Amino acid sequence: MDQARPAGSSLVGYKRKVPRPTGRLLTRLTRLTSLTALATGLVVALASPSALAQKKGGAKPKPPPAGAAAGASGGAEIELDAPATGQPAAGAGGTVELDQPQATTPTPTPPPGGGATGEGGICDIDPSACPKQADIKAAQNKTINAEIYAVQQIYALRARRFELNPYWAFTLNDQFVSHPGPGLAANYYISNVLAVGVNGTLYAGLNGDSDFNFENRRATRVAVPLNEYQWAAALNFTYVPMYGKFAGFSDFIFHYDAYVVGGVGAISTRPIPVIDPDNRNFSWEPKVAFNAGLGLRIFLNRWFAATLEVRDYIYNEKLENTDSIVGQTQAQLQDKNNWYKENRLTNNVQAQVGLSIFLPFSWEYRLPK
Amino acid sequence: MRRFVTLLVSAALAAGALLAAETDANAQEIQLTGPLAGAPAARKLRLYREGRFELAPTTSFTLLDEYRRTIFVGGRLQYHIKDWLGVGVWGAYGVVSSTTDLTDQIDAVAIRNNRTAANVAPKNFGDQTAKLTYVAAPQATFVPFRGKFAIFQKIFVDTDAYLHGGVAFVGVQERGNCGGSGQPLCTDPSSFALASRTAIAPTFGLGLNFYVSELLSIGLEYRALPFSWNRAGFDSRGAGNNGKFPNVPPKIDDQDQTFKFNQMITIALGISLPTHAKVSD
Repeated sequence: MDQARPAGSSLVGYKRKVPRPTGRLLTRLTRLTSLTALATGLVVALASPSALAQKKGGAKPKPPPAGAAAGASGGAEIELDAPATGQPAAGAGGTVELDQPQATTPTPTPPPGGGATGEGGICDIDPSACPKQADIKAAQNKTINAEIYAVQQIYALRARRFELNPYWAFTLNDQFVSHPGPGLAANYYISNVLAVGVNGTLYAGLNGDSDFNFENRRATRVAVPLNEYQWAAALNFTYVPMYGKFAGFSDFIFHYDAYVVGGVGAISTRPIPVIDPDNRNFSWEPKVAFNAGLGLRIFLNRWFAATLEVRDYIYNEKLENTDSIVGQTQAQLQDKNNWYKENRLTNNVQAQVGLSIFLPFSWEYRLPK
Repeated sequence: MRRFVTLLVSAALAAGALLAAETDANAQEIQLTGPLAGAPAARKLRLYREGRFELAPTTSFTLLDEYRRTIFVGGRLQYHIKDWLGVGVWGAYGVVSSTTDLTDQIDAVAIRNNRTAANVAPKNFGDQTAKLTYVAAPQATFVPFRGKFAIFQKIFVDTDAYLHGGVAFVGVQERGNCGGSGQPLCTDPSSFALASRTAIAPTFGLGLNFYVSELLSIGLEYRALPFSWNRAGFDSRGAGNNGKFPNVPPKIDDQDQTFKFNQMITIALGISLPTHAKVSD
């Protein structure tokens, strides 16, 4: 444990009288001043119980800060038998109790022109590695990249990784027909903030025509054109401008990011026949669909995350002709040209809740921590 | 059955093994055996909520409305006993109540004859659709998550995520009862007038608070208010074997109130007092 003990923590333990060599009083006084300051800091630290408080029992105590351990085990005791004159008194006698005999070794003179102190410095250990004047000048002229990031070593890097994102989608803005369905997105992150990918959602067989439509038609004799979806697919770009972390219950930390996504693709839809279901049998037709959305991704570990996304798929919907069919002939009823009436720009806003798996599972950081 | 259970357990073990095989996440756990062992997840945390009142003007927008949408303006007053627990009340008044496109379409194209006389007002269909007039909701707020987010690695904002729940007293104006004894006929134009009542409903949701300073915060909140009401003023229930058919002759009463999972989004500007927040150890 000694090697982990911070500097200045050696004046603890047993007393050992060490004859004080003459001519080193200034060095001793300097150390005394430091020790006094450290001891004062320790007293302040001890007076504030929360500073050393440990939340959970049984945990290792937090080691004191560097230098503050001088009095942690009983305090330092220093005796000086020479009057303090402010100047080193040559030949003055006195004792200093230290627990480490090494502390009494003479301080070597620093090598001239070098930055090493001589107390285990690089120049003593390996003279060949000792910086020379020419090296320092060369270092001064070296161009450095002074860029520093506000937050370094992001918990989960995305750059050059694939993301697989299975999700479940449900409608947020269609009170007439619900469009739930499973989906899958696959993205490749070109950089840590930009990805290109595809996603697809399958709605077929899961569209829900609510009771509200029937009750509204029955009460007002007004037909509202309804549509159902078969599938949707899109090519997307994702940009991740926001990330952060949360502390949950002040006990654990999880990381998250928020992103914007947008793209273009297709959605296959058809009207649900409301007016003449006996004759009207609409077929699925794909339409060009643009999409834009926002997403939140909560990392459960470095490659596994939960996602929540809200995306608006915007496309031109073909609506059923809800005009009265009274008086039409059978040929007119079966003429598909009479089944459609208008096109309307439609927003299908859906939430997508899912999981993200990043591949490969691990990576190497470019910069050290 | 046994095979299914075996399959399920095997799948769970495989998933667990897959997750356990991950090695990089352990890099974080090294600290748990070091000098930070036992330390809280965050030190010197600004306690934006503990021991403080929050007064927040709010604006709320209803979602997924069938016949009429409402914009509420109100306020939230809360006291936070702890940083993670607060009690208070949210109240709002519906200052804007506009009809949806469906309501306008019905008003424009619905035929007024004896088949629709009990359900569609002779002049303006929008006038018979129900309105939400006010909401008062005593509630508790639970704040399990505290953190921050960075935007473009430039802007850092302290943030918390919270859940809220309580009881809501909702002012509802909906078509009055008709067709019963002592009541007007449902085909009578006067029967389309709205009557007021107070509905009591659970309310819950979640939100995010972004602290732009110790004094001010910006909030975004989702709220659900599920309860039954007759939003269109139709006679749609009460007869038939399962009660899902209109009465003959028409009769409107509380059976015509159908369940709706009412939802809204709220934007708030929070003002916290005292003006300075405590800081945790």
